[in-house]
Amino acid sequence: MRIVVCVKAVPGSTEVKMDPKTNTIVRDGGAAVINPFDAAALEIALRIKDKLAIEGEPCRVTVLSMGIPATESLLRDCVARGADAALLLSDRAFAGADTLATTYALSCGIARLEEPDLVLCGKMAVDGDTAQIGPELAGSLGVPCAAGVAALDAVGLRAVTVEREVDGGMATVEVPLPAVLTVAKDAAQLRFASIAGIRAAEGARVDVLTASACGADAARTGLAGSPTQVVRSFVPERIERGVTIEGDAAAQARAVAELLEAMA
Amino acid sequence: MRGIRDWAPEFDEYRRDESRTMGEASSISFPTDEAELRAVLAELERTAPDAPITVQGARTGLAAGAVPHGGHVLNLSRMNRYLGLRRDEGGAFHLRVQPGVVLAELRRLLAAKALPQAGWDAASLAALDALYGGPAQFFPTDPTETSACVGGMAACNASGARSYRYGPMRPHVSALRVVLADGDVLDLRRGEHRAHGRTLELVTEGGRALALDVPGYTMPRTKNASGYYAEDDMDAVDLFIGSDGTLGIISELELVLSPEPCVTWGINCFFASEAAALDFVSAARPRLSCAAALEYFDGSALGILRSARSGCAAFVSLPAVPESFAACVFVELECDDEGRAYDELECTGELMRSVGGSEKDSWVARTDVDRERQRLFRHAVPESVNMLIDRRRRTAPAITKLGSDMSVPDERLHDVVALYRRTLAEAGLESATWGHIGNNHLHVNVLPRDERDYAAGKELFRSWAREVTAMGGAVSAEHGVGKIKRDFLLAMYGSDAIDEMARLKVALDPRGRLGRGNLFDEARLDAAVAAMRKGE
Repeated sequence: MRIVVCVKAVPGSTEVKMDPKTNTIVRDGGAAVINPFDAAALEIALRIKDKLAIEGEPCRVTVLSMGIPATESLLRDCVARGADAALLLSDRAFAGADTLATTYALSCGIARLEEPDLVLCGKMAVDGDTAQIGPELAGSLGVPCAAGVAALDAVGLRAVTVEREVDGGMATVEVPLPAVLTVAKDAAQLRFASIAGIRAAEGARVDVLTASACGADAARTGLAGSPTQVVRSFVPERIERGVTIEGDAAAQARAVAELLEAMA
Repeated sequence: MRGIRDWAPEFDEYRRDESRTMGEASSISFPTDEAELRAVLAELERTAPDAPITVQGARTGLAAGAVPHGGHVLNLSRMNRYLGLRRDEGGAFHLRVQPGVVLAELRRLLAAKALPQAGWDAASLAALDALYGGPAQFFPTDPTETSACVGGMAACNASGARSYRYGPMRPHVSALRVVLADGDVLDLRRGEHRAHGRTLELVTEGGRALALDVPGYTMPRTKNASGYYAEDDMDAVDLFIGSDGTLGIISELELVLSPEPCVTWGINCFFASEAAALDFVSAARPRLSCAAALEYFDGSALGILRSARSGCAAFVSLPAVPESFAACVFVELECDDEGRAYDELECTGELMRSVGGSEKDSWVARTDVDRERQRLFRHAVPESVNMLIDRRRRTAPAITKLGSDMSVPDERLHDVVALYRRTLAEAGLESATWGHIGNNHLHVNVLPRDERDYAAGKELFRSWAREVTAMGGAVSAEHGVGKIKRDFLLAMYGSDAIDEMARLKVALDPRGRLGRGNLFDEARLDAAVAAMRKGE
């Protein structure tokens, strides 16, 4: 089985600062980490690989990212944890990409690899929160997609059975391969790298491709290929007004009901 | 609530600490600064001149040092202000604080560069600018319980995992203000008040001259928090650190900050046997020059953790520990750059192989996320054991976990572990062992199933105190002696040395009021008080 896991480097800090003038995230050069949702996706891929290894089936996990050159160290860390290969798409031409242009770039990268049976993405990225890449990638590749996978129940060479988050509960679905799965953050905890893994990863090759090297159409990459128009972004005004409701329980309940009615 | 309050049920939690022993007291106070503290002492002098006084901080101690033996509880948790900062000629920063400052808050405020500056003078504010403008600094002493306060940490000479590199609390305190039982004050800065041989001459702020005889015993050359620090030409600051609240009341401390390491990597190294883990530690000590911590978890501890992981939601994010892993050594590397860290990592792998292990059997944390999971693993072990004991207490309410705190010299590590294993097996006791193996300082935790096991465990600890002393070790390496390890201290130093300690205490506290019951029993203390009154 061939698995591709798409990963994104996100700011390592939980205390993200916003530029008060541009209302964009201040990326102050702090350490980037693997998006936690993507970390769960990678662990799911490695578990499939472990399971297939026991059954004597070959499995190759490739991590794929679009990012700045420094993202190479993040991909090398993925290799240290058990991925077999890494591909980085890095080019100024990719800068400013929205989800459509990012999906296009990733699909170009996937096209340079042997056709995968399974593409795994995190459900969303903690810095962008769109949850669009996985479904868009499935559309681009023309394969089915199961979004918000919380657990992997069964893996076969023709289909996988997964539990996915749906409104009001969980749904168990069998997805024919090839397919794209987007993975929920708590689906799995990414394993630690071992000393042996880190040593092996130091010598591993991380392929880096530019836009032209992966055959991307310049009109469909980066800012040029991004139809999304950000009209304005702003930090919501904090309104710290509170109402204290006093009286006995019945009076307080009435007051709350009136407030709710007024808000309706 | 700054004056003296008569005891009331609302204060009952102040009758105990983390040792889970319970004491009695008739009054309590919560001073917020040194002046209030001295006013409390003056009031006690007037109203209850012979009342025992027990000093408390955050009550996180494990040796019952803060558990009152009657009289007054002087709780310093509200003396928690940051008073100033100075930078010495060598560039080191010294942060002046009150004793009730809590370690976790100190760490957070230092990391966030958000120390409260209210009331600081211009020199302190200038030093603060230099602190925030330069490389990040931290306070390295790291007891597991981060809700400890720095005064209590000084009182028991606390340490923790990183003491392998940084030593205990003692060298990270550069000055103390100590209020004596009579309200007079000693203002001590390291290097300014040294003993001549074993005689220490000090002058209080009130102008009183004190000539103190430092006990004549030789301290073990191991990690040690057992009794008073005593050495030829010693610094006066060192006498009060680790004195278990018996000599004076620490009202201010100056903490020496250290530069944050540029690269911190953690490695859990797993082995198929305890013997391999011990060999790894012996081999690692001379080879890993960047190791800040070498910690141990035995097979029983890992087994208890496996059970807890499946039954406790809080531990579900922990990685599974395979059954084939029978022992774990945690190595923390602190390096100047990643290249150096990588070299040390390779060396760690080579050391694992040299003792028959596999470098595949390791967990390496190089990111904050992974380090946090390693921290959870290390904390989950004692937490899991506490949960196990709590379950057993439902049927045997008198039992508690019995944890040892002894250390031996490097060359006796294998011997002391053999002693623990042989005697535990002979007594038929369950145990789980973890702790600071780099300092040959293991916490062997007897897990009693019933009262008989509990009594057998206590007896075993007494025998270990004798054996560890014979190996040149210390009966308490980091928790202090407090009230529950007095017998061990007696076994370690002998009766004459304990009398010397009692005489030193009485020279500073003539009525023997401070920390009664800590270090030595009250009869011995009262004899020393009576002897001094007779002018012996």
